This record gives sequence, C-alpha cells and structure tokens, in this order.
Amino acid sequence: MDEDGGAAILARLRDVLRDSAVEEHDWDAVVPETHIESLGFDSLTILDVLYDLEEEFGVALEPKQVVKTHTVGEIVTLLQQNGA
Amino acid sequence: MARRVAVTGLGVACAIGADIESFWTNLIAGRGAIGQLQSLDTSALKVGIGAEVDAELVRAGLKRLRRRPTDRAVDLGLVAAADALEEAGLIDGAPPYEAQPVAVILGTGAGSAESHTTGHARFHERGVRGLRPSTVPRCMYNSISAGISIHFKLTGINYVVVSACTSATNAIGMACRMVRDGYADTVLCGGADGFFDPFYFGIWNNLGVMSKNPDPARACRPFDADRDGTVFGEGAGMLVVESWERARGRGARIRGEVVGYGESSDASHLTSPSAEGQAVAMRDALASAGARPDELGAVNAHGTATRANDECESESIRAVLGDAVEAAPVSANKSYFGHTLGASGAIEAIAALLSIEYGVLPPNLNLENPDPECRVRLVGAEPEPLERPLVMKNSFGFGGSNGVLVLGPGNRG
Repeated sequence: MDEDGGAAILARLRDVLRDSAVEEHDWDAVVPETHIESLGFDSLTILDVLYDLEEEFGVALEPKQVVKTHTVGEIVTLLQQNGA
Repeated sequence: MARRVAVTGLGVACAIGADIESFWTNLIAGRGAIGQLQSLDTSALKVGIGAEVDAELVRAGLKRLRRRPTDRAVDLGLVAAADALEEAGLIDGAPPYEAQPVAVILGTGAGSAESHTTGHARFHERGVRGLRPSTVPRCMYNSISAGISIHFKLTGINYVVVSACTSATNAIGMACRMVRDGYADTVLCGGADGFFDPFYFGIWNNLGVMSKNPDPARACRPFDADRDGTVFGEGAGMLVVESWERARGRGARIRGEVVGYGESSDASHLTSPSAEGQAVAMRDALASAGARPDELGAVNAHGTATRANDECESESIRAVLGDAVEAAPVSANKSYFGHTLGASGAIEAIAALLSIEYGVLPPNLNLENPDPECRVRLVGAEPEPLERPLVMKNSFGFGGSNGVLVLGPGNRG
C-alpha cells in the first residue's frame, strides 16, 4: 500500500467495512495487516463491500480482484491502483 | 407412542422487557410500555403510538453476540433466541458455537420488513443501481430463521411460518408435532416481527384497525367496551422445546409443557374472524391435549382490542368451554406490549407458561368497563391466582388462520 493517501483511504475503508459487516469488531484496531476473513466477511458479504467501495470511492472494481485480496492493506492498494 | 414436549428455554424481546425476568416483573406489576413512537416519523399518520423495544437493550444484546444490526426482526429474534438457547443449556455465552442438530421454526408476519423498505427506497431513488448485492438474502422471509440457524450453528431444518398474527403459534405447533412424532429431538421455535417503518406501519395506518386514542397508556383495551382498535408492537419470543425424555435425561430444567395444539382455517373472509373456525381450532387443541374444558385454569386470548376480534373470540371461547367458561379467566397481554403480529403467539405463550410456573395471572390493563357483549370471565385490574395449571393460548390471523396451544407445567406427572 502506498503511504501517500493510504491512511486517508484506510480510514474511509474502515467505515465501509463496519457498515457492511454482520459481526461486531473493534474497527479502530483494523490495520493494513488485518485479514478480511477475520472480520467475518464471506463470499456473499464481500460483495456488499465491493458495492460500497465503488459507491464510496467512485471507482469501478473487478469482483475477481476484490475476491483475491486477503488483507485490508491489499484493498487499499487496489483502490489506489484504480484511482481512488 | 407420541412423545411429550418439554419447554426448556425461554427468551423474549418486547417493549416490557428484553429478558424473561423483566418481562414477568412488568407483567405482574401491571406495567405496560405503549408510548409515542420514537423510531418513526408519524406526523403524516393517523396513529403515532406503539410498543417499541428499548434500542439500547437490543444493541447490548447484539453486542453480547458480537453482531451488528442487520434487520430489526432478525436482530430481535437473535436477542431472544440467545436467551432461550442459553437457558436450555445449548449455548454458553458468546460465539463461536459448536454445531448441534436443533431445528429452527419461526413465525413472522411482516418478515424482514426493514430490509424490504430500505431496498424499495433505494430502488425508487436510484433504480437497479441502488440495490446492494445482499438485498436478496436480507429480504428473504426466512432470513430470520436462517440468520439464527447460521449464527448459533443449529443444523436442524430451519424455516418460517407466515400466517399473519397466527404465525408464531403455528410455528410452536409445528415444532410440537416434530418433537411429538420423533422428527426432531430439539426445536427452537417462536416468532419475530419488527415493522415500525414508513411502509409497513403506513399500510396498517390506512387499514384503520389501530386505536386512535391519543393516550398511549390507555389506548390498548382488550375486551373493554370503549376499545377502538389495536396498538402495534415489535418483538420476538423464543422457546426451546424438546422431548421430555431428552430433557430429563440431560438434567435440563423443564419450565413447562406444550400439551396440545390445534388449528383450522375460517375459509370465509380475509380479515373478518369466524367464531366457528376459531372453535374448531380450540376443540382440536383440547383433543390433542387430551383435556376437557373444565381442566383449563385460564385462557390467554388473542385479544387484539379490535371491535371484531374480542367479540368474536368471546363467542368462540363460550362455545368451546360451555359451562366451564366462568372458571377459566381470560388474559389479554397485548395491553402491555401491543400486538406484535407474527411474534405475538410466542410472546404470549411465554406469558402463559410463566403464569403456570408462578401460579398467578397478570392483570388485564385498561379493562375499566368490560364489554357486556364479551361474555367471558376476564382477569381484572389485579393479578389473580391460577387455579389449575393448564392454559389455552389462542392466536387468530388475517387470512382466517387459527392456531391454539394448550400449555402445562413442567412438573406434570
């Protein structure tokens, strides 16, 4: 993940994850190394995350790319690569 | 031989309590909780009152389960289910849980109403683009039973029964039959409904069955001559039922028994009840319980406080109980926590089971001027002793569905 702007994107990403989540977590403790799966997302709920990311960041993401990500930091990088 | 059906866990989330102890304490103290609706803008509506569950209690209940809110009916169901499962000794605190073969059979009237309304609003605002991918699973009526099955890892069959205000009673009846006939050993059953949203509350507003009494505390008046309609509530009620042998064998505390269940359809009108149809279900339930009318200690009525229901229900109770009608006082719990639609049968069955356990019937609120047309013996403004520990619980729904349970104590023979 690119440090420039990464922190700002991470903060917005945390909100997206929280609003799409079924499980409750300490969202402030979510860091780039946090695994998406550990936050309770599965193959269905990650689709909501994808949808909400596109809404929040105004980008178009390939579902395949999102499914390939394992950590929060990888999503931040993906968002940056797609112009967020 | 048919197996007996033990109740080993109870859970509730309604306006007068999100735990069994608060629920019973408020019932017996005559403390209702109908008020001005806080979660909904009712300025354009004829009716602005209802019985809401304390939002903080729901939040705390979900937090204990490490869940975020998803849909009001699902959330209420989860909170009540956790208490029932925990009391039955099937779970211990927060997740993760071990998978176990428990079925989940739940009633609901409006289903995942909040998700429907949210989805429709987004669709009207932005078209198909506004619909989140999870709209389908969130809007499924069985999202309530599925959500509970998945969260608690209950691997028996899960489904919902949708029969308007009879839903939860039908669900408990189905669960009872499953256990009786050996199709399941343990079932989580009951119901959940949460529909204080602009669409669902709006359609009830326009049907004209709700009380227009501006005083929330006095608005819901079952069997009172001055009743002018029902008052709605949100909530969930959950029971763990299992075979008597299994409960005994594992040393579970048996809190009561589902002794019998009966059902029928009026097959006459979508919204007008039929005393004949109701009587068929009551007789069916008594036959299923192997009980005579004079063995009943009380009737827990459907008692919606509409003109039509209470008069019709009084007639059907009289027809079935005959000479025993004066010896079976009638309770109407909706005066406390409103009409919770598809959850009402479960929440009120829990009230009936607690009445049996403690040997006392809660007072009927707002019964200041009993309707002379309702010729049944009504519990008054004070609690009264339950003389015989067998209670008939009625539920009747739009669509002409009738469901009746006969409930007994946990220490019967």
